[in-house]
Amino acid sequence: MRKSGFHILRVGIAITFLWIGVLILKDPAGWSGYIQPWAANLIPVPLIEVMIVTAFFDIAVGVLLLIDMFTWIASLAALFHIATVLIVSGINQVTIRDVGLFAASLALFADTVPSNLIPKFLKPKVS
Amino acid sequence: MIGLTPLALLFTLSAIGISETVYLIKKRKAEEIPVCFIGSGCHDVLESKYNKILGVHNDILGLIFYIFVCTLSALILIEAFPISILKTVDVLIIISGAVMSIYFTFLQAFVIKKWCFWCLMSALTVFVMTIIVILSGFMI
Repeated sequence: MRKSGFHILRVGIAITFLWIGVLILKDPAGWSGYIQPWAANLIPVPLIEVMIVTAFFDIAVGVLLLIDMFTWIASLAALFHIATVLIVSGINQVTIRDVGLFAASLALFADTVPSNLIPKFLKPKVS
Repeated sequence: MIGLTPLALLFTLSAIGISETVYLIKKRKAEEIPVCFIGSGCHDVLESKYNKILGVHNDILGLIFYIFVCTLSALILIEAFPISILKTVDVLIIISGAVMSIYFTFLQAFVIKKWCFWCLMSALTVFVMTIIVILSGFMI
């Protein structure tokens, strides 16, 4: 990825995560309404507490992406988070935005993952 | 009552400011020349004798400024503390940032006589923040 394009994507995703974290902190009960009942039933702790933890998680991911520190870990965390959102919130009118965020986080991860980690997972074993 | 839009804009602009200043601090610490998208005066301006105030680098002061504005905008939205106090502090910080930006732009234009892309971007960010504060009813 071109250097300037990478940084624009990184800062854009960082701001998205930071702002979502702040919005969840403002109204955790409202945001918990996006969780599908089947998923809510699987969670053993109050949903509001889960949402507050999620908000701080989002803010932490946003901060790391913003300051370009541990970017591959932050983008991996963002990937897992958006994948979870896609699973537990079901398909609705705004799902496609999450698909875009997922793709953007995947692009960041692919561009920043340490090169010594890739062979461990992707290189076929030669006997 | 402040709407969501001005707070979102202040938050976004200050987050962009944080990323800019962190980039400049990293480049300075690594003793590398930052990318200068427009013009070629970035190095001259950033390495001039005006790059510090009271011994503190301007990029660090800028980072502190943006972190304050970003945090205050978030706290005003969450209503975590009395909003009137947060609003007053936010306005004072943004206005002081605008005054500093005018001073730095003046230095570039008339003293150093070189333009720095990152400094101008930062000044533009702060001026837009000031306009948002004036137009959005922060001062009321």
